[in-house]
Amino acid sequence: MMSRPLVQFLPWIATGSLMALAWVGWKLRQAWEGLRAAQRAAQLERALREFGDLMRDADQPEVHVHELLQALAGNTGFATAALLRPSPGAQDIVVGEPDANALAGLQLCADSGRALGPGTHHHAEEPDLYLPLRGRDAALGAVTLRGLGTQALPPDHLAHAQALCDQMGLALQRRRVQDEARLAGELAETQSTRNAMLAAISHDYRTPLATIMGSASALQTQGDRLTATQRSELAGRIVDETARLVRLTDNTLQLARLGAPGVALRCDWESAEEIVGAALRRVRRRPDGERVKARIEPGLPLLWCDAALMSQLLDNLVDNALKYSPATAPVELVVRRLGGEALFAVRDRGPGIDPAWRDRVFDAFQRGDLAAFAQRPPGSGVGLALCRAIAQAHEGSLSLRPRGHGGCSFELRLPLRDAPELPEAQA
Amino acid sequence: MKLLLVEDDRELRVTLKEALAVEGYEVLTAASLADAMAQLAHAGHLDAVLLDLGLPDGDGEELLQALRRERSTPLIVISARQVEGQKIRLLDAGADDYLVKPFGIGELLARLRVALRHRGTVAQPAITMYRRAGLEVDLAAHRVRRDGADMRLTPTEFKLLARLVRQAGQVVTHRRLLADVWGADATEQTHYLRLYMGQLRAKLEVDPAEPCVLLTEPGVGYRIAEPG
Repeated sequence: MMSRPLVQFLPWIATGSLMALAWVGWKLRQAWEGLRAAQRAAQLERALREFGDLMRDADQPEVHVHELLQALAGNTGFATAALLRPSPGAQDIVVGEPDANALAGLQLCADSGRALGPGTHHHAEEPDLYLPLRGRDAALGAVTLRGLGTQALPPDHLAHAQALCDQMGLALQRRRVQDEARLAGELAETQSTRNAMLAAISHDYRTPLATIMGSASALQTQGDRLTATQRSELAGRIVDETARLVRLTDNTLQLARLGAPGVALRCDWESAEEIVGAALRRVRRRPDGERVKARIEPGLPLLWCDAALMSQLLDNLVDNALKYSPATAPVELVVRRLGGEALFAVRDRGPGIDPAWRDRVFDAFQRGDLAAFAQRPPGSGVGLALCRAIAQAHEGSLSLRPRGHGGCSFELRLPLRDAPELPEAQA
Repeated sequence: MKLLLVEDDRELRVTLKEALAVEGYEVLTAASLADAMAQLAHAGHLDAVLLDLGLPDGDGEELLQALRRERSTPLIVISARQVEGQKIRLLDAGADDYLVKPFGIGELLARLRVALRHRGTVAQPAITMYRRAGLEVDLAAHRVRRDGADMRLTPTEFKLLARLVRQAGQVVTHRRLLADVWGADATEQTHYLRLYMGQLRAKLEVDPAEPCVLLTEPGVGYRIAEPG
């Protein structure tokens, strides 16, 4: 009795169950798809965040362009390419191997700052997708996913791809701003250094010029009222001060030359005895030149250096030592071996140099600080700056050491290298 | 003595001309390369040429080359360019000497005297006998004496000394010395020169640490002091 109605309702129950099942299935599917979508969204978000982190820490965002392309193409197998414009005026960087057509697309996309291709409402009929790398006010490049055709990316994927691209764009923009700030800073520094240098050099030039002008004009206007001795003294002063100007000019030009990029030294195997011997010969022509005493350790190896520059360096140091020490005090020129280096020391018994200035005497005239320049110790002009530049050009160093009983020791250290073999016992 | 002075700067040209005239030289002047070439072709015999390099219509080096194709007239370069590489190139191309501006008249006259004595020829050495500061070198007799005592030199040392003596008072470049003493394939071996010059100085100089006969021209070459 009871079974009949049941049987009678069976189709309904079956239908109901099926519907319920279908509903459950549909719900499950919905939930599953929701879950998948959420997972995918989370994945995209994570990818975005990771790439964002990468871009934030990147000093050179452009080196990560392959990561960007990888993130965009994923495992889809679409060919990719990118075009970067990290700095205005510089050449575009092209990554991947876009053909002429794709390159034109990349350029158009970067110029216009608009996405184009499938799914973008802009040249949607094109088979390739182009996305700009957008900075704040312009695109700094573009990327392409090629051969999409009808498989336009779903809108959320497209938005994600554009977001990745924009992170690269912003990173490039940030780097561009940093570069511009650094360049502006360097330019300002160069300007101020140059101004200080010009002021210092013109000061150094004016002093001997004043003496020359004074002496020559005295000869010109008072010549017939001066004694022969006075006239000869004036002429002598003109010659001496001209020699000073010549040295100053040589120093300034040489310093500028060494400061230029890619300057080549004319190095050869030189003997320390010869370089010092030639320097002594030059200094002996001066009336106070006899004060210089040289001491060279015997058996020094040959030095790999530019002899003309080394001579200029020694001349400057010896000239300073003679000029700024008492007229009776000796000036020593010592050369010896010190481990793997040759040490050239020029030592005087002058007043010494204030500790505050010891490290600064070598660049006192190019500091950009005119007040400090006015108080610099005597002798710390172009000459010492040149000496240090010469030492550094030889991978050596020049330093100043105070001496035990007063005075300075200027010490040049040059690295020793293996000298070539000499010919076999040639007579 | 007739000189040709090639210098485009008027002030320097006039100053040098007057200073040379005081010493008894007859001085022809040219202010351009074209002018100098014309004078060279038409002035007849010249005893020496003083040549500035930076001329308004070309480089003085062209004149040196043109001159050396025909004559061995002594030529001194006077240049504002203080570049060792160029100095060496011009000396090797046949210039007798190279003076960097500015220079004193005394120095110019001294260099001119040396150049005139040599007449720019190496093939026919003007000097076979050299004396200075107790040193006596007799190239013909192959003999070297210091303070009257015979000095024993190795063959290479003598060759090197003789090469310098033949051009006494003038710089001989490293390259030239190496080629003439060791041969054409040794022109890069500057360290041979360092060794043998050191040995020569040890034997011949009063104070080898402060040579006054065998002189170094840093980065260019060597010079034996003018005899006297």
